[in-house]
Parts: sequence; structure tokens; C-alpha cells
Amino acid sequence: MPRAIKGALVKCDPSIRALILKIDAESHDIVIEELDDTHLVVDQNRIPFVKAELARILAQNSYNPLDEDEA
Amino acid sequence: MSDSSNLLKTTVNDYLENLPESVHNKLYQSSITCLAIFRLLPSLAKFYVMSLLFNEHSVSYIDLTRWIRPDNMTHLVSSSTKSSSSSAVTNFPGAIGKNKMYQNECLKRLKQLNLIKDVRKQWTNPNTGQLTNVVVLQLNPMFRKNFRNALTGSQMSNDLNNDIEMTDVEEVSEEFLDRYSLMKWENILHFMVGSEVPELPSIGVLSLLRHSGLMDIGEENEFIATPKRFKGDNMDLKSMKITQDGFQFLLQDINAQIWQLLLQYLRMSEKLMMNPVDVLNFIFMLGSLELGKQYPVTLLSDTQVIMLEDLVDYGLIYYPEKNRYFYPTRMATTLTSEKTTFKTASMSMNQVLEGGPEVKDHGSIVLETNFKLYCYTTSPLQIAILNLFVHLRTRFANMVTGMITRESVREALRNGITADQIIKYLETHAHSQMKKLAEEKLLKKLEFDSNATETQQIGSQVKLEVIPPTVVDQIKLWQLEMDRLQTFAGFLFKDFANAQEFEQLANYADEVGVMLWRDDDKRKFFVTEEGIGQLNDYANRLKRHRA
Repeated sequence: MPRAIKGALVKCDPSIRALILKIDAESHDIVIEELDDTHLVVDQNRIPFVKAELARILAQNSYNPLDEDEA
Repeated sequence: MSDSSNLLKTTVNDYLENLPESVHNKLYQSSITCLAIFRLLPSLAKFYVMSLLFNEHSVSYIDLTRWIRPDNMTHLVSSSTKSSSSSAVTNFPGAIGKNKMYQNECLKRLKQLNLIKDVRKQWTNPNTGQLTNVVVLQLNPMFRKNFRNALTGSQMSNDLNNDIEMTDVEEVSEEFLDRYSLMKWENILHFMVGSEVPELPSIGVLSLLRHSGLMDIGEENEFIATPKRFKGDNMDLKSMKITQDGFQFLLQDINAQIWQLLLQYLRMSEKLMMNPVDVLNFIFMLGSLELGKQYPVTLLSDTQVIMLEDLVDYGLIYYPEKNRYFYPTRMATTLTSEKTTFKTASMSMNQVLEGGPEVKDHGSIVLETNFKLYCYTTSPLQIAILNLFVHLRTRFANMVTGMITRESVREALRNGITADQIIKYLETHAHSQMKKLAEEKLLKKLEFDSNATETQQIGSQVKLEVIPPTVVDQIKLWQLEMDRLQTFAGFLFKDFANAQEFEQLANYADEVGVMLWRDDDKRKFFVTEEGIGQLNDYANRLKRHRA
């Protein structure tokens, strides 16, 4: 008998997928199912949290030329 | 920029075409309006109107089609014999070519404007005496009368073109009017890009900007301002922010901008119970006024006087002494003119905008591969526009320097400005030196390619790159980064017992178009939130069927 699970399908590139899995590793309450390299099923209520975390991590990785000036 | 002006013209036409016939007939009572509408027509339609204008008899439809070069020979043969002529068009419904389509479009437009009418007439063949039905075209009699007046100038008395005696009114030079209208117009544009303006545009202008969707009240502002709403919307309107449409608007040339706002004004004036005939007549009349002349207010209707005061806010009108005389500015007089003339007019506007006639080429932006940007400009408006997506650093007497950073671009993207818009702006405003460099590079590349690989197709991949490609790519990447993950709410189906069960449901979901993702090997699929109901019904039906 098939089951239907409520959630949000997340479509992203593999690097973002890896980051989402890393975020999930801390609490284990975000990712419901890993579908394939570019698709995940995620708890719908945690989407805003995931987006905010992603923005934070990505900002750390980017080079901001203005920081250099002030230093 | 000619694209945008074309686009604008069609929207003016669209607006006119959608007016009811009674309004059209009222419009055509003014010679000036007839002339302005004629100017907006496509050339073939102009030609048709001219050929009908001084022809006292109605002209048959077939005669008009003869002006068109036929697209195929069969068509020519069938339409050249007059007796079978009325059926010529219907004979070959599939064989309608490009010319024919252009003609049909022109005729359709003329009909929608109620300029011409089809009349079926009985026509007796002189040779056989047979009666046949022929479609003839008639020019709108009101339009015919008044357009003739406009051309031959017999009855222009109630329009504004007769000479006015110079009384004690001050002389106003064209330069003054140009400067005045630009000051007014730039003030509005400045407000749109959010720079400090000495005097806020009037409430009329602000609400028009909001209604046209060029600017909107930010969400957070709305939240704060709600308790104060009873004081009127003024506070809200002053804190408006530019929208994506608004940015697109800034990139257009000045004439297109004015038309866009005027059309919005027309739509708003209908809601305010102003007579659209009066409003349109006035707009069209402005196009036929002469720059640098003054016109007495007494010639205008009450509605038009109200409008006059509104148009002062846009810089279309200089109105120094209340209730006596007004001066149209260059922005007003070029409204309905042909593209070529208005191009030069808008170019002269640009010259003033750039601060002097010696600036011929108004490109002024230099952009390096390290994302540093230098802009030779004194126009606060251009600086303000740059400030929307560039992190500006230093301002000198004749230039500003800045840098395109991830944050500055993201800020612009969040405001609804797209990466393509930014790139296009940089390209159109690039410094002539940058363009020259890019052209030299292109030539070298072409030469190199032709030497190295003579057999390969050259020139197809190589194109002019005014803006460093690294910067272009990076801006596009930043945009992609904004939406690196897409989310869809829905349901995941899994744990199917066998392949048949999976396929039945999955194929059904595919058919009704609710499938987002499927994997046949793992026997899992994901459907949208809306699709779950349909799918449940189907699953239950299957179960009952099996039981």
C-alpha cells in the first residue's frame, strides 16, 4: 500500500544539496527524504530557516572587496 | 531606443482603438486631433486615408487592394477581373502573404478607429447588366471634413494656431523652456530613484506613479504607516520605492516615458469623471503647438484648464501667470511627431541633460574587469541610478567611482531590478573609449580566427563585448544565486507494492499535470498540493474497481 507524505520538494544543484544536508546534520529534523542529486523532500515549516542558513553560509564563502579596504 | 518608442506608439493606438464609436466621433470634431491621429497611423493606412480624403465617391475595397503588390500570381489574376473581385480574397484563404497581412492590419486599425466603414453596395455590371454586391469603403464624414480643414487650413479658428497678438507678456526663450521642462522632469526621475530632491513632486504625480505600478509603497513602510492612514496618503506616497517596471521606465527615452505617463493619466482621468475627449484633444493639440510661443488659457475648456495645471507638474507646460497664458515646452510639442524628428528632439534633450552641447557622445561609464567602475558625469540623476546597483565610493567634480559588488547587485535584485537590465544599462552608457576598445578586440579576434581556422564558420560565436565578460557573467551568476533552490509544496508517494500499482498512479498524475518529480526505479513520485485530491480519488476508484 503506497504512502503519501506531506513536504516540500526542493530543487537545487548538488552543492546546495550538500549544504542542506550539512544543516540537517545538526538537528535531523529538516530533510525528510533524499530523492536524487538535485531533489530533496524537506519539512515545509523549516524552509525559511534553511534559506536563512544558506544565505549565511554562502555569504561567508564570498569575497567582499570592501572588507579589505577597511582593514 | 527606437523599439521602445515603437512599442509606445502601439499602446497609444491600442488605447484609441478601444474607445467607443461615440467618443471617436467627438474626437474627430477637432481638426488638430484628426491630424495627430493621422500621424500615428502606419504608412499604408496613411496612404489609404489620403487616397480617400479628397475623393467624393466611395472607393471599392478591390481598388485599395490594387495598391498592394500581390504575394502570389494566382491572387493577381483573380483580383484583376472586377466581376469576380469581391470573392477574390475569400477564394484563397490559405494564401495570405506578408503584404496582405500588413494591409489587413492597416484596414483593421482604420476600422477600429472608426475612420473607415464597409458599405455593401449593389453594383450593376455595364456589360452583362448583372447585379453584384461590392464592398466599398467610406471615410468617416466627420473626420473627412475636419482633416481636410487641418490640411487646407480653412477653419482653424477655434484651434490655437492662429497668431496671437504679442501683448505685454514676457518673452520666453526656447532654452529657458528646455531647461525648465528638464528640471521638472528630472525632479520626478530623481524622486523615482530615491535621491534627495529639493521639492517633492506634487501629490498628483506621486499617485500617478503609484497607479502606473512604477513605484510602490514598501511593505515595511505600509506596516508602520497604517495607524497614520487617516492623515491622508501623503506620507505613504513620499516613502515609495521603485519597482521593476519603474527601472525599465528609467531606461526608456524621454518621449516614451512621457507617453507612458500620459496614458496612465488618461486612465486615471476616466475614473475622475473627466471627459476623455477633452483630455485627448488637449494632448493631441499640444503636439501641434509651437515651441516658444504663448497661448491664451481662454481657449481651453474647464477640464483642459484642470489638466493644464497637472501637466505643469510634468514639465510639459510652462504656466507662469495663472489664468492668462501658457507655454508648451519641447516635451509637449514633440509628442505626436514622427520618429525621426522626435529622435533629434530627444537627442537635444539629452545634450541638455548631459550639461552642454559639447558632449556629443553621452556614454560615460568605464568598467574594469576588477569590477571597478568610473563614471564621468555631473548629472545627479545618473549618479542616483548608478547608486541602485553600484557601491559608490568617491565623488569628484566631474566623475564618480564605485564598485560592483555582490551586495550592491543583490540589493538591486531584491528591489526587482534584473541582471539583464543592469547589463543593458551599463552597455548603453559605456564610455566611447570602452566601445572602441571592444571593437578593436573584436577585429583582432576575427582576424585571428580567420587565420587559425579557415574552414570553420567564423563570426558566429564572436560578438562585441563592451562590458568585460567576467563582469557580465558574474552579475548573471549573482542573479542565479538569488534563487539557487526552488521549493514546491506537495506530497511524496512511496512504498508501492509493485510496479503496476506505481505506474497506474504515476501515469495518472503525469496526465493531469500535477507531477513534479518521479523516479521509476525507486518507485517514488512527488505531486503538487493541488493534485493530491484528484490523485486520492483516482486511487480509491482503483481500489473499488479491484475489490
